[in-house]
Amino acid sequence: MATTTATLTLSSADLLSDNMSLSATMNLYKGGTTATGLEQMNYHRLIVPTGTNFDLIAESDALKDNSNYVYIINKNTDVTDYIKISINSEEIGRLYAGDWLFMPWSCDLSAAANDSTIELEAFTHEHIIEYALFHVGETLPTASDS
Amino acid sequence: MATTTATITLATSDMADNSFSVSNTSTLTTAGTDTGITETTGLGRKKFASGSNIVLLDGGLTSGIAADVTADKSAKVYIKNHNDRGDGTKYVTILLAAVEIGRLYGGDWMFIPWCAATGKDIEFTASDATETTLEYTCFYE
Repeated sequence: MATTTATLTLSSADLLSDNMSLSATMNLYKGGTTATGLEQMNYHRLIVPTGTNFDLIAESDALKDNSNYVYIINKNTDVTDYIKISINSEEIGRLYAGDWLFMPWSCDLSAAANDSTIELEAFTHEHIIEYALFHVGETLPTASDS
Repeated sequence: MATTTATITLATSDMADNSFSVSNTSTLTTAGTDTGITETTGLGRKKFASGSNIVLLDGGLTSGIAADVTADKSAKVYIKNHNDRGDGTKYVTILLAAVEIGRLYGGDWMFIPWCAATGKDIEFTASDATETTLEYTCFYE
């Protein structure tokens, strides 16, 4: 078991009439356990062209219905650049240059194929994307020459 | 213009054979500009005791707390499940309209962009009807 933490700090000195500061820290545990940490992760860096909606994180039986966590950051610097993040055809929202997200992800295999695949489309320019998946399992493909 | 930042740090010292840490700070701006976001729903805290599907933020509304959120811009949403983790079997499922995003177990949080278009409600369903407390806020233009 591993110990992995995710910490968020939201702060502003001038959005409200007084300072705002909010901090939250969580441990990344396996679902259905009291405190058993996730033990597996993938970290990627990609250059994504415009014009196509891509599957970023695909469903798999090993990932289904448990606690997976996804981090995605848009590393572009032009403020007009953005990516759309969707689950199947439902757009979650846009990450502009420098924006990031962190969310749990349910890999739901109960409905239509690919209905919980996380998708990404780049707009304006090609994008440099980094993303991480902290997960409960991964099924490696059997080698074709085995 | 206001300056609001969101910083994330992901860290583990024992998942791999070397420590792993990623930290990034995003300044929340209006869509396609470097102008800071100036509106927020404020921080909300809601207790509920129901296993039914409930709308937390209603996309495309003409009134209510999320009515001013302009669709397809750069809104960001923070949600935290304030319950204790307990035995790890109780959770809140977060949905975008009818599509399940993921589960927030006790103590878990999420920070996501939100398209906020009509029908793109952020909803939740608790895994049982015992009391759950959610904390949430939305930054928007």
